[in-house]
Amino acid sequence: MVGNVLPNVFDENASADAGELARMQSFVGAIAVADLVKTTLGPKGMDKILQSIGDPTNKRAITVTNDGATILKSIHVDNPAAKILIDISNTQDAEVGDGTTTVAVLAGEFLREAEKLIQQKIHPQIIIQGWRLARDVALKTLREAAMDNSADEEAFKRDLKNIAMTTLSSKLLLHDREHFATLAVNAILRLKGSGNLDYIKIIKKTGGTLGDSFLADGFILEKHISTGCPRIKENAKVLIANTPMDHDKIKIFGSKVRVDSIMKVADIEEAEKQKMKKKIDKILAHKPDVFINRQLIYNYPEQLLAEKGVMVIEHADFDGTERLAAVLGADILSTFDNPEVAKLGTCARIEEIMIGEDKVIKFSGTQAGEACSIVLRGSGSHILDEAERSLHDVICVLIAAVKNHRILYGGGNSEIRMSLAVDELSKSVKGKQALAIQSYAHALKQLPTIIADNAGYDSAELVQNLRSEIYNGKISSGLNMFKGIVDDMQTLGVTECLRVKEQALLSASEAAELILRVDEIIRCAPRRREGQ
Amino acid sequence: MSEAAKFQGGNKDMGARMDSEKTKDIRMTNIIAAKAISDVVRTSLGPRGMDKMIQDSKGEVLITNDGATILKQMEVVHPTAKMLVEISKAQDIEAGDGTTSVVVMAGSFLKASQELLAKGIHPSAISDGFQVALTKALETIDGMAQPVDLNNRDQLIQNAITSLSSKVVSQHSDLLAPMAVDAVLRIIDKEHDTNVDLRDIHVSKKLGGTVDDSELIDGLCFVDKKASHFAGGPSKIKDAKIGLIQFVLSAPKTDLENNVVVHDYTAMDRILKEERKYILDLVKRISATGCNVILMQKSILRDALNDLALHFLAKKNIMVIKDIDRDQIDFISKSLRAIPVAHIDHFTTEKLGYAKLVEEVATGGDRKIVKVTGCPNEGKTISILLRGSNQLVLDEAERSLHDALCVVRALVKRRALVPGGAAVEMEIARNLQEYSRTIYGTDAYCVRAYGEALELIPYTLAENAGLDPINFVTELRNRHIQGEKFCGINARRNTITNMLDENVVQPALVSISALTLSTECVRMILKIDDIVLSR
Repeated sequence: MVGNVLPNVFDENASADAGELARMQSFVGAIAVADLVKTTLGPKGMDKILQSIGDPTNKRAITVTNDGATILKSIHVDNPAAKILIDISNTQDAEVGDGTTTVAVLAGEFLREAEKLIQQKIHPQIIIQGWRLARDVALKTLREAAMDNSADEEAFKRDLKNIAMTTLSSKLLLHDREHFATLAVNAILRLKGSGNLDYIKIIKKTGGTLGDSFLADGFILEKHISTGCPRIKENAKVLIANTPMDHDKIKIFGSKVRVDSIMKVADIEEAEKQKMKKKIDKILAHKPDVFINRQLIYNYPEQLLAEKGVMVIEHADFDGTERLAAVLGADILSTFDNPEVAKLGTCARIEEIMIGEDKVIKFSGTQAGEACSIVLRGSGSHILDEAERSLHDVICVLIAAVKNHRILYGGGNSEIRMSLAVDELSKSVKGKQALAIQSYAHALKQLPTIIADNAGYDSAELVQNLRSEIYNGKISSGLNMFKGIVDDMQTLGVTECLRVKEQALLSASEAAELILRVDEIIRCAPRRREGQ
Repeated sequence: MSEAAKFQGGNKDMGARMDSEKTKDIRMTNIIAAKAISDVVRTSLGPRGMDKMIQDSKGEVLITNDGATILKQMEVVHPTAKMLVEISKAQDIEAGDGTTSVVVMAGSFLKASQELLAKGIHPSAISDGFQVALTKALETIDGMAQPVDLNNRDQLIQNAITSLSSKVVSQHSDLLAPMAVDAVLRIIDKEHDTNVDLRDIHVSKKLGGTVDDSELIDGLCFVDKKASHFAGGPSKIKDAKIGLIQFVLSAPKTDLENNVVVHDYTAMDRILKEERKYILDLVKRISATGCNVILMQKSILRDALNDLALHFLAKKNIMVIKDIDRDQIDFISKSLRAIPVAHIDHFTTEKLGYAKLVEEVATGGDRKIVKVTGCPNEGKTISILLRGSNQLVLDEAERSLHDALCVVRALVKRRALVPGGAAVEMEIARNLQEYSRTIYGTDAYCVRAYGEALELIPYTLAENAGLDPINFVTELRNRHIQGEKFCGINARRNTITNMLDENVVQPALVSISALTLSTECVRMILKIDDIVLSR
């Protein structure tokens, strides 16, 4: 800018950062986000309080969590690179449900290494080339390290439980993990590989402790049975409907009746009643034992149904009806003209049970044998919410494991094995890429280091020991986070799901690559509102 | 920044990494905030605890010493303080009593963990240590628990009295405690039930009179629901046949918007006559079934009944109780065995409920109450009418009664008793200290600190009773070490006595749940290292 005027290429409010500046911005943003969630990693990772600042009506609701995706989803960021990290964490959440923190931290570590290489004047494209080679080798190692026990059912079940235990150990449920692992595995085994999460309903009830949580056979609906109905039904046929049961209004705007005497009003009222009665008769033609409606049911129709000995449940919300329909194998009906084609659900037993202070309706022996409900108990809503998130993660991981079968040793085992393989590769590669490959290996090694750090152990010592153990052939070694020593993962039963690791490695590498390629950040001018 | 901090504290704890300054600060503020909450309610612990007066944002005043209520009203903003409020609420739901203790315990544990943190012990390690201590403490409670027999009414009453002894209405505990026990015993199956649905006990409040006038009604009680006595309707009916109706006794109205078009003045006359005829017809059909009391559900869409209908009903000697909420219908129908009727066509004799006596009782104030007694409910429901000289006393009496009901419920849930007067806490403290000497590592430190923290309960109890806390706590500890494990602080007699002999007992569930909840919460607070502002 030697005094000459720059032409205005962009709008006046837009800005552009190029070259070094842009790259630095990306690094700083991404690393900051990674550091934010870094401390939540591992069995002894810490939690964060998320305090919402907007929305005063919500009384500034707080969330306590150590779920990476939840944290990242709720923070404000104004840095493009940071946003990319948040995105990949979300993708990981959607794809496999767990490892959301790992993926963000790993990407952060890659970028930290890249920053050093760039300072050594290595071009980003060269780094990327090296990383690609490294990633392929790492992936290959990962897949080779994986074991498949699906042939042996007992062993597979044990594997699932171990995976659940390992996943849970980094969550709030750590101390009841045995209990919850069994819970989650039982729930998953009921699904018989279908992976349909609709069949597992998680219900949260304050009171009691986490250890009091249980898996209920069948489906639980948090509604009431209407007055005057039978409270228990066995071998019931269930009709699930979504139809107005208050009054059938003619849906013409401003429709109105004009009469000249009170009796005529009474007649119309009577006619309306008759209309409702006809509807009920039509419903009764289906011969249901239980009638569940998504909408309100007024007293009159409710009584007509109750008189016929039909159990009536009103106002089962959207979620409730959809799930019930899936679980009971019923259609959701809105018209009742063809009783012969309508599909009614069946259920062996429907009854009211008490959980804590509340009464709920339990459907057991449902047509879809997969259905089950997990009732979570805990001392407060924060704990319950976090427990639900943890359980959700575990269930997602287990579903991935059921589909994929293959498992890995946990406790940093796979990371170190990948790191060693990548290191080996760097020795055989010519050119500057070798430096990038080395850095990739180093970044991989950082994960167990962070986990050990969070637990307050001497990470440098531990990780180095682990490396040498594995190098010397003890391929099932890993970090024992409860004792702070290098231990045999096979005997401890610390296993992870291959799918989670694979996805984390791929997403993190891709994201890091993406951010590294950036050499210019252009911020568009904010769109102006009308009248400004 | 964190790098620098890492190096500074590098070799303190076996070369482990210390927390960054920011993390330490956040943990400290969390602990301080939570402790502040626990200090607020600390003075209201125990039979000699003080009450708090709370003025809410609308200027309404509330006097209570129920921990859960105090905290609920305080509207705290700090996140960890909110967590303490939550556990108090959870304790209320689970055990109904000990809502103050649970917060005081949590505060005390946090103070202990603060000291442990200062020693350089990692928060996760403290959290683990507390879990070890909790397991041991629960074992101790099990060891102290005395089995309880639900047929032993006196013992249950004694329990409820202990729970009420710390409340504003403690002087009425002789009245409220038996009431709570009788109410619960009436509605449960003593052999099999493991839970009590408190909704089967309907508590109504009525200003006027004193708490002594409160009573247990084997039936129903309607407060502020005016029974009709316009036009000389009956106010007392024996052998009542009660109809529970959900339709209305007023001019017809369609779901569609309707207009009655009047062309000339003769038509007006005719319309009035028709309306009269319509209502008279309804009333006649009601009276034809032999019904002599009507309970009427509130209608939001139109008037439930108009003056004309009231007049006719009075003529027919039918008593009317109106404006009953829809959610009460279930309870009423259960008590009276009446089936709610939604249309006049279905109003038949078999749907009527029966009661020996329906009576309107004057209660001194300007409004009267209606009592329905002698229902054929087979002990499924029961009502309690609370009286009090002013709204504050009345509200507090309701909360206390709720506590007493919960205490009895806790005994139904888990049929065991432990001594009161901080005997349990002291015994756990003693046990943990003994246990801490047999283990090694950080757990030993944490278990000991946990035990010491529990001594705050007897300390506070003595302090609130105006006793010398240090003398009492040390003497109590001594007695426990000598093996008198049922000894506790007797605040009524200002001495240390065997609480079982004195019959000061509380349900084991209260102690168990207080310990588990407070430990769970403290461990969660310890694990937090950052507060992130979010959307």
